[in-house]
Amino acid sequence: MTRFPLTEAQSGLWYFQKLEPENPILNTGQYLEIVGKLDVDIFRAAFDQMVGETEALTLRFAESAEGPVQFLDPSTRPTLGFVDLRGEVAAESVAHAAMRKDTDTPLDLTRDAIAAFTLFQISDQRFFWYERVHHLAIDGYGWVLITNRVAELYSATVNGTTPAPAFPPLEQAITENADYLTAERRETDRAYWHDYLANLPEPGSMAQGRPVSAHSFRRHTMHLRGEVLNNLRSVAQAAKVTWPDVLTALVSAYCQRFTGTAEVVVGVPHMGRLGSKAARVPCTLMNVLPLRVAIDDKQPMPAFLSAVAKDLIKARRHGRYRSEQMRRDLGLIGGARRLFGAMVNVQPFDVAPKMAGLDVTLHILGAGAVDDITFTFRGDANEELLFETDTNPNLYSEEVTRQHGERLAAFLTNALKAETLSEVPTASTDEAQRFIFDLNATDHDVRDVSLTQLIVEGMRKASDAPALRFAGETMTYRELDARTAALAEKLIALGASADKIVAVALPRSFELVIALVATLRAGAAYLPLDTEHPRDRIARILTSAQPICVLANDETAPLFDGDIPLVLPSDWPSAPSSQELALPAPGDMAYVIYTSGSTGEPKGVVIEHRAIVNRLEWMRTHYDFGAHDRILQKTPATFDVSVWEFFLPLMCGATLVVAAPGAHRDPAAIAQIIRDEAITTLHFVPSMLSAFLAWPGVDGLKVSRVFCSGEELTADHRDRFHKAIDGELHNLYGPTEAAVDVSYWPAAKDDTSLPVPIGFPVWNTRLYVLDANMKPVPAEVVGELWLGGVQLARGYLGRSDLTDDRFLPDPFRPGERIYRTGDVARFRADGAVVFLGRSDHQVKIRGLRIELGEIEAAIMSSGLARETGVMAREDRPGDKRIVAYIVPSETYCDDAIQRHLAATIPDYMIPAAFVVIDELPVTSNGKLNRAALPAPSFEDTGLREASGPTEIMLAALFAEVLGLSEPASADADFFALGGDSLLAVNLTLRIQEVLGRDAGLGAIFEHPTLSSLASFLDADATSDDGLGNLIKLSGDNADKSPLFVIHPAGGISWCYRGLARELDRPVYGLQSPALDPKKSLPESLDKLASAYADAIRTVQPQGPYNLLGWSVGGIIAHAMATKLQAAGDKVGLLALLDAYPAECWRAEAEPDERAALRALLAIAGYDPEAHPDLETRDDILAFLRAGDSPIGNLPTAALDGVVRSVLDTNRLVRGHYHQRFDGKLVHVRAGNDHHGTNLTSDLWSAHAASLRVIEVPFKHSQLTSTEATAQIAPQLRDLLDTETSR
Amino acid sequence: MAVTLEKMRADIAEMIGEEPEAIGVDDNLMDLGLDSMRLMNLILLWQEAGVDLEFGEFAEHFTLGAWWNAVEKRQSAS
Repeated sequence: MTRFPLTEAQSGLWYFQKLEPENPILNTGQYLEIVGKLDVDIFRAAFDQMVGETEALTLRFAESAEGPVQFLDPSTRPTLGFVDLRGEVAAESVAHAAMRKDTDTPLDLTRDAIAAFTLFQISDQRFFWYERVHHLAIDGYGWVLITNRVAELYSATVNGTTPAPAFPPLEQAITENADYLTAERRETDRAYWHDYLANLPEPGSMAQGRPVSAHSFRRHTMHLRGEVLNNLRSVAQAAKVTWPDVLTALVSAYCQRFTGTAEVVVGVPHMGRLGSKAARVPCTLMNVLPLRVAIDDKQPMPAFLSAVAKDLIKARRHGRYRSEQMRRDLGLIGGARRLFGAMVNVQPFDVAPKMAGLDVTLHILGAGAVDDITFTFRGDANEELLFETDTNPNLYSEEVTRQHGERLAAFLTNALKAETLSEVPTASTDEAQRFIFDLNATDHDVRDVSLTQLIVEGMRKASDAPALRFAGETMTYRELDARTAALAEKLIALGASADKIVAVALPRSFELVIALVATLRAGAAYLPLDTEHPRDRIARILTSAQPICVLANDETAPLFDGDIPLVLPSDWPSAPSSQELALPAPGDMAYVIYTSGSTGEPKGVVIEHRAIVNRLEWMRTHYDFGAHDRILQKTPATFDVSVWEFFLPLMCGATLVVAAPGAHRDPAAIAQIIRDEAITTLHFVPSMLSAFLAWPGVDGLKVSRVFCSGEELTADHRDRFHKAIDGELHNLYGPTEAAVDVSYWPAAKDDTSLPVPIGFPVWNTRLYVLDANMKPVPAEVVGELWLGGVQLARGYLGRSDLTDDRFLPDPFRPGERIYRTGDVARFRADGAVVFLGRSDHQVKIRGLRIELGEIEAAIMSSGLARETGVMAREDRPGDKRIVAYIVPSETYCDDAIQRHLAATIPDYMIPAAFVVIDELPVTSNGKLNRAALPAPSFEDTGLREASGPTEIMLAALFAEVLGLSEPASADADFFALGGDSLLAVNLTLRIQEVLGRDAGLGAIFEHPTLSSLASFLDADATSDDGLGNLIKLSGDNADKSPLFVIHPAGGISWCYRGLARELDRPVYGLQSPALDPKKSLPESLDKLASAYADAIRTVQPQGPYNLLGWSVGGIIAHAMATKLQAAGDKVGLLALLDAYPAECWRAEAEPDERAALRALLAIAGYDPEAHPDLETRDDILAFLRAGDSPIGNLPTAALDGVVRSVLDTNRLVRGHYHQRFDGKLVHVRAGNDHHGTNLTSDLWSAHAASLRVIEVPFKHSQLTSTEATAQIAPQLRDLLDTETSR
Repeated sequence: MAVTLEKMRADIAEMIGEEPEAIGVDDNLMDLGLDSMRLMNLILLWQEAGVDLEFGEFAEHFTLGAWWNAVEKRQSAS
């Protein structure tokens, strides 16, 4: 029996199936619905003839030493089953159930028949012909061939015509495939794809989650007919492209709306056999080609379509080069790393075959794995296109699947009528209705009065109640009424009236509240000034606002020049006349707050009474405020959150408790005042809340409500809040330009939202999320947030240019305005808005769009940080890098955070630097002050840079404690750089925090230079358990470049200690993260190698790097070497102690736990073969404990870690594919082993530019013994000296 | 109405946006940008001109020369 290797196309499917033998998704199937007088005998004859011609239907598979093979097994030749269901009550359902059962049954490819066919007779003139073939034997085009062949043979018999010749034999396709592997053509194709895929972006995802096929898929089916098909054909004709290519281009454009990336990469199935001898052979040759589509949505549609079509034509020309190979070429192996996201599958030939005298309809049941989302179009586009949206059920719900189907159909309809893509909305009509109108149906009657009127009404109602509390003093409403009326009269006398401005420069006090209320009663607008701002800035604001006077006090008065009248509290009258003051109109200015402008010139936002009244009345009703409430006023008046703190209590007859000046930055003072004053309601900026919650005195506080706004409230904040504090937490959102807040979200204890939304619009308010073309987007699609409604500001004072720029006509509600927030947001499916950051918080690094908030969330989720801020810095022009600032938790370490991030976010999002700081700097409003974050140092200072973990740690601590702008150099002297004994205490405390032990103050005086302190600390490192990821095996000759040795399968590198002592240079051992029971290995050996490469950079920032590994450690060393080279680093020595490439092990069974336990014996230095009696875990552990090997003294958890490392590492090796190492590989071969195997040194030739073999007369297991070391070390020493002196 | 070699050359050229002279009888048409969809359209075109053609016959050999042989055979048989 001839055995063939699998074709390239089959191999991927084989391994997929082997990994998941129980997964039936590769059972592809379909059925023909046949109506009419089918002659079953003729049909059976046609079927038998087709089967006779189609060798692939008798394929069987087997494992062999050379990998999987296939052969023809005539005994599995399928016959046509016949099931007569006539007379059954629900014949169709019975047939469907039988088909589903068969399709859902996984096959044993080494035993079972690969195909099955059944003809169900439903009624006299109705049949279902069911066909099921494993994808290994047939692909989509093969399906068309065999199905149409039966129809053709049937018709030929019925009509008496001659059918086309039989299918060629399968071998023709297999040979053709084998020929291609060595053809020059393949090299041309490889070169094409190499160029085409250069700088390939992440393909972009339309859903969250791991795109690995499940056991089933979801499907939404539609039929496209009529206008859309007419337009498809005419648009194709006009653009001179084929209609399938038009569909591919437009579907890609649709996908891009969801990925939000500038470029989207989709997969396009390609039949892969045109123009070859395999063209008519039913078999599996299908390839999936990556198509990069960059979207310029202003480009004329025909130009866009023809550009995509040109790429498709080129891709098809080189379409035989396998996408699996492209992934290998790009190193995109394992895990979620992939070449393309969505698949676009246009099958113009997939139409029901014609059968003489019969009416035939085609139903596709399954077409193979669905990793992510696949859009399939079947048919000739004349009458109808069958449009299927298939999704991975782990990534897309049924609802979302349906929405994509319907929305894409609408998108195609619109795009085929559009001049450019920018005209085409992403949201469907229904979605636009929902997100623009239904969710914004917030109309609510609010009395059209001024804020002044609400305050006066409140004061009159509560006259004897306490209005204000400050520093233990109380002021009643009656007194507040009198004093504010009296001051108002004075202000009116000074010229206060509608739309005039009174500036207020007072610290928190009774006077501040009186000043604000009096200004409102005088009919003028108040302008709060921040007296901590530079004089110059205050002067510019006054010039722009032209207030009639400034309400200041003795301390703030000197800030002002003589031109503007100052009114000090000593001048304030306390008794008003009996004349009732006139009330302002609802359209008058209520206050002006200056915000920083992006140009640096502050902008005055003008808010009218009507706007702020809406906001305050909504809050009063929505949260049920009443006279019993006690509201803390701690927000600076210059920050508009203070507006509700000041006036909501006065409207309600509640008590306004004014915190002492400066108290808003002091957690202890806040906690104190909450307790002392029985505060019911207060506000925090989230970063201040975070600091507040970190303070131990807050536990057990009880308040009614806490409001957060001004910054993103994270899920971490929410959860910590509810752990510490008994009360409601509410997330509010709004810019100064829309009267404080426009949206709300109850961040309740049981809320599990991640991220926490900003929620829903308040009364008479609209939230729009629009794309760059001002078109609505559906749920989960990122856009810019626009606001509309009654709360919008009048504009910027005296700057109609800026006003016109930010306040635009509402495209959905004629006559109204909307405000552009510059914030990036998306709708959740439930309609809640999620804030994703400023649009400037969203950065691009190397063209990739990055949400810094996402990185921050990933850091917080590690539990390693108490607080964090991430920013993109461009400290040198053109060199933009992500830097994470971290307030560490007790468990923080650089290594751990790197590993955590590597496992949670894409590589390109991992910060280039982590800067540990004591606290995040905040602005006077309590927001994170990004500008005050220090620049990390990436620069070469000329001094010796700190190297090695301890020096690098100290360099950071020196900088932190001494306030240096960059890490200190190795030669830095603590005292010379400004350190004093107090700072030395700080340094010892920080060292204790980081290292977990007290260095002692004396050590710093004794070793003031960084390098000497580092050596002292290293020498003092007695508590080291030797299980760290990077251990120092030798510290000899620190001036020589170190050698890094990589652990064998057990994960421990102590075995190299003897060798390390003989090499006359520093030697560091890398050890497996799997030793720590809390950590797991990365998902691929490549990732592990990357992590190790990063780890050694902390010791040696620049190459050339020397690497050595024994056994599995050699495979990892080789992978590290290629990673380092890929990053532009040099590799010096790469030495492999009797390691053999991954492909040698791929087909070997993975060791089981018993084998791993026995490997422990070898690791401990015993010969496992000498102890065949040690079988069980307990036996082996007891034996080790009784012995004197260091391994035997390890804690049990670490021993478990070793076993785990053996198992995990072996698994990674089997999934590893080597990159080529561009250099000389030194292979130290165990000459006394491997007789009778094919393990030779030469196997490495395929993976290295050159090979040098050193053979030693030992066994594999003896290579790190003293005797072997005596022979190996001198040669390595020479090699190292030559390699590093080059 | 018979299908001629020159008609085929012209139709192919039209389909891939080239001049007829650019298409030699032995050129690999896939390299010139002809794909399955375009091939299908060509077959339909030539079927309309009265030659009954099979996609499969054309799919194996992607040159004008090979196609002309197939068409000639069909035309002489009918």
